Amino acid sequence: MAARAEDIATPNIDELFRPTHDERARQSFVSMLRKHAIIDLRAAVRRHYESEVAPALRARGAEPATWRDIERVMEPDPLHRLYSTLRYNAQEMCYLSVQPAIERALPEMIDLARDLATHNPAGGTLRLNPQFEIPRYLHALDVHLAPGWVTAEHTEDDVAQGAVVGFGGKVFTGQHPYRKRPGVVAESIAHWIQRTRPGFTPRRILDLGTTAGKNLLPYKSAFPQSEAHGIDCGAPVLRYGHALAEHEGIAVHFSQQNAERTDFPDGHFDLIVSSFFLHEIPLKATRNVLRECHRLLSPGGLMVHMELPDASSVSEYDNFFWNWDTHNNNEPFYTNYREQDPLRLCEEAGFLPADAFKLTIPDAASFGEERYARFLKGELPAPPHGSGGWFIFGAERRG
Amino acid sequence: MSKAPTEVTLPRTTRGKRPVFFDDPSIDQMMTFVIELTTEVAVLRERLDTVERLLDAGVPVTREAIESFQPQAAVNTERDAWRDAYLKRVFRMHPTASAQTSDPERGSSP
Ligand SMILES: C[S@@+](CC[C@H](N)C(=O)[O-])C[C@H]1O[C@@H](n2cnc3c(N)ncnc32)[C@H](O)[C@@H]1O
Repeated sequence: MAARAEDIATPNIDELFRPTHDERARQSFVSMLRKHAIIDLRAAVRRHYESEVAPALRARGAEPATWRDIERVMEPDPLHRLYSTLRYNAQEMCYLSVQPAIERALPEMIDLARDLATHNPAGGTLRLNPQFEIPRYLHALDVHLAPGWVTAEHTEDDVAQGAVVGFGGKVFTGQHPYRKRPGVVAESIAHWIQRTRPGFTPRRILDLGTTAGKNLLPYKSAFPQSEAHGIDCGAPVLRYGHALAEHEGIAVHFSQQNAERTDFPDGHFDLIVSSFFLHEIPLKATRNVLRECHRLLSPGGLMVHMELPDASSVSEYDNFFWNWDTHNNNEPFYTNYREQDPLRLCEEAGFLPADAFKLTIPDAASFGEERYARFLKGELPAPPHGSGGWFIFGAERRG
Repeated sequence: MSKAPTEVTLPRTTRGKRPVFFDDPSIDQMMTFVIELTTEVAVLRERLDTVERLLDAGVPVTREAIESFQPQAAVNTERDAWRDAYLKRVFRMHPTASAQTSDPERGSSP
């Protein structure tokens, strides 16, 4: 991709981000801080719970039965408190560590994004709606502790939040064993589709809640004949994503729309995807989105969402671990979302129960082809979600 | 929307309720200070490391040379290992009470 981008010499908006020596050092350190919390301490807390806390309670006949019981027991635990405070502060610092360099680069970034939105050298498009009404659930608080999240506009034609979320995200995943490369989720889902549905060639693809299209671009590479669309509510992230895609030489159509009700015609898409999206919106909105997917899918079309595993798919301890984000990462809908059965949600949206699925698929980049073949034969399970696997659910649309 | 792009200052605080993890919220505040300070030390350490590498290479140490220093992959690997070990040293937990009772000889947990 890089070589092709050089041929057509479309400037890279990411390259305008030029942190100083010390800013870069800070970003690298925050990545490690985040890894220390989310990998090392997460494992240490679990070991501590399983080898000390739970046995002591069991001896007294008071072993926690539900994730809420575990939470009650662990909240005052010193190790869990260290884990929580490090995780929370590292999360904030991901964004704080990139903001100064973005402030300096902003005028140039805006100029470049504007220029690319006018000329579309790769043949993509950017369609914004100045009258767009941002859903309240999206701007009432800053999701992921990112000040301004994806919708705040600080100046005209602003792209700042696209850069904040993009570069902050790179700091966030910088030392994560399975998230270092952008687009790994889309790569993994595209790989799974190709291996399980040979010959599936979607004419049009839609990514819901695409942000800057990180997990949209790989679909266009996997299915080069397709027309790729990404929608989001945030204008700054769409502008940024458009500039990135044009630089990559990948034609993608970004538009500012609410996934609960889009302006695309019935049956317009053969493949509808999303990642890290549905748990961030209220359940009512999730239901609307899934109904909209049903409307937008063509007969024989496929819908695949990468999401958090639902509560019934993992242990009580894992539920305790996952639900941390609800109160501590500004994700108020997270626990409620996870309590739903995704298969049931698909059915409510109009899909036939027999056409719906939920499973964990291997991370395509790290699993290896030989093991993948064994996974497909049912001989080898995928690693857990986020630790080498990705939880997905969805449905096919019949007739 | 009225400001010229050059004047944009991005918001540094998050909207939404901040959780309190400790019994006394001032400890939560103190942890932020400690974590920020830990980060400052790591940044300073990396700057010193850059200076030493310039000196090793016989390059005159100027601010500009520091700014334009491009670490090789091996240098990044070395630095990551240092950061990792440093973090584990700084955020060392006291042995837990239960571990102490279960292992009175050593009195400390791993
Ligand atoms: C965590 S981000 C998704 C990240 C991205 N899909 C990825 O894989 O990197 C959630 C996104 O959903 C978008 N979003 C939230 N509600 C939406 C809605 N009703 N319609 C469209 N997008 C929405 C937000 O603006 C945000 O960009």
